[in-house]
Amino acid sequence: MKAHHELMPLVYDELRRIAARYMGRERPGQTLQATGLVNEAFVRMAAERTREFQNRTHFLAIAALSMRQILVQRARAKRASKRDAGGHQVTLNDISAPPSAIRPEFERVDPDRPGDVDMLALDEALTRLAAFDPEAAQVVELRYFGGLTVEETAEAVGVSPATVKRQWAMARAWLKQALEGLE
Amino acid sequence: MTPQRWSQIKAVFNGALEQPPEARGGWLRQECGSDAALLADVERLLRSFDSLGGFLDQPAQVEPEDVALAVPPAGDIDGAGWRAGDRVGEYEIVRAIGRGGMGVVYLATDRRLHRNVALKSLPASLADNPELRERLKREARAAATITDPAVATVYSLEEVEGHLLLASEYLDGRTLRAVIDDGPIDVATARHIALHVARGLRAAHDAGVIHRDLKPENIVVGTGGTAKIVDFGIAWLEHPTGTHHAKLTREGAMIGTPAYMAPEQLMGGTPDARTDIFAFGVIVAEMLSGRHPVVAGPITPAEPALQRVADRAREPDPGRRYATAGELVAVLESLATGTADAVRVRSARYWWEFHQGAAAVSYAVMLVPAWFARGQIGGLEGRSFFVATAVAAIAASMLRLHLWFMSRQHASELAWARRRSAPFIRLADVMLVVSLVVGAGLVAAQSSLDVVLLALAVGVAITFAFIEPSTARAAGLDNPS
Repeated sequence: MKAHHELMPLVYDELRRIAARYMGRERPGQTLQATGLVNEAFVRMAAERTREFQNRTHFLAIAALSMRQILVQRARAKRASKRDAGGHQVTLNDISAPPSAIRPEFERVDPDRPGDVDMLALDEALTRLAAFDPEAAQVVELRYFGGLTVEETAEAVGVSPATVKRQWAMARAWLKQALEGLE
Repeated sequence: MTPQRWSQIKAVFNGALEQPPEARGGWLRQECGSDAALLADVERLLRSFDSLGGFLDQPAQVEPEDVALAVPPAGDIDGAGWRAGDRVGEYEIVRAIGRGGMGVVYLATDRRLHRNVALKSLPASLADNPELRERLKREARAAATITDPAVATVYSLEEVEGHLLLASEYLDGRTLRAVIDDGPIDVATARHIALHVARGLRAAHDAGVIHRDLKPENIVVGTGGTAKIVDFGIAWLEHPTGTHHAKLTREGAMIGTPAYMAPEQLMGGTPDARTDIFAFGVIVAEMLSGRHPVVAGPITPAEPALQRVADRAREPDPGRRYATAGELVAVLESLATGTADAVRVRSARYWWEFHQGAAAVSYAVMLVPAWFARGQIGGLEGRSFFVATAVAAIAASMLRLHLWFMSRQHASELAWARRRSAPFIRLADVMLVVSLVVGAGLVAAQSSLDVVLLALAVGVAITFAFIEPSTARAAGLDNPS
């Protein structure tokens, strides 16, 4: 079995390839659930990359970590390009400017849309969580970025599903509080 | 927040959740006692929990382009730890360009020869195993003798500062995997790539090197549509025992079988040239449909002739595949259009077909003099002579017509059909010559028809011994090796 850091680029590539094919197929703006992407990657890689992965949960754990990095990286890139593109000055008279143009350094987040999360803030909060509760942080990574079920997460982490449920509930509560700046 | 504090909060939080909502407040105060900060922390967390709503409820949503455009973190690829500008022996690292199954590949400059090379650092574990090292040396030496534009040239195998390094031609292009995943490949390009790869395989097999792990990831497509095979001579390193047993994990779930491996290789058999030919077939099928043939299922091929080549190449039974890469090249060349080479082969093929047809007709016509000779010999001898001649002539004629038909209608199957029918044609021809000579002897007493029969016998002998082999060679049907 190879180490995570050796397998990551392989999973990364696979995710990118699959996504690239979706780009051609789906209409623009269409979103995919991470779960679907990760599972498709598993099916493909199980067929082609035989030896490297210990088992399905091993793969899913790496895929979840890859998804997290991908989403964070893209959020960062988008923020950077917005900042670059923000050459024009928004004046007080320019009332037609969308809110995101006024504060370009922030992702526009619609709290009413479930799943619409400020990725960079979440990543940062998750890193903080990992400092004092690494297991809970991993549960979040697997559940949210990898789309694993409670049972799959339990298998990947090596604890009981009941424990995963408790960790998941508490981690979400803490993260929400952290994202709202209450922490 | 310290881990200790967090576990304290965690315990109280989880305990509180087990209380009925109305009893929570009292329970909490009792539990926290004098620790007001703890109480505040847990209460805040509980409030947050109650207002979670859909927060993180659904797995992350991604836009495909976000994933497609992501680049792996820079640090991840740099396994051997070399950075731009590092000197490794006589090589200067330019950058890491990829990760193969057995090591990181760098673009490096050879300072002795001032050329760019692809430098692969092989696993250190190899250095400790004398047997594997010896084999690696042998294979690398053999791979270095392959000189074909469709094979990435192996320059050297060196040991520098404890690292085993394999230097080979640096290719600027994309892997066939990337090309396939980009969407449908047009038929002309697919044919072009297939021909290149087949030629590369022919050159390698002639040098006694089998790839063993041919797959789209190991084929680099250059800007001009040229294709080169990489990793000849080292692909076996990934599985040095040469077998690929399906792996059972702890949980008993089986991880799938490698998609490009021939059945006999999967069963742990010794791979040979036909193993590469199988992989070739899978790759060509994948180029045509855009998906691995196992996943794609039955499809309507955009290019039936090339599809048939792919299907023949990936026959599960090695005996039914093309026997050599040379055969593959000949078939693909005969399919190719538009190049001078192909035109030459096509017109030579035309003459070969013409000759097959002409021979078939003249063999049938031989029944006429044979019939007259039968009358003159008379009796049982005459009848026996005629039956023997007729059987041989008709069989030889029919088999040639069959080949003619295959060449016209199923060019990709021709090589296989020729291989299968060759012993029968030889048998029929020999039988025809023998019976004509015997007939000539028998009829000599009665008439001068013996001269005709002898002439026919000589004609048949010349046809199958000289003319046919040379037209077949000219048409590229016979592998010179």
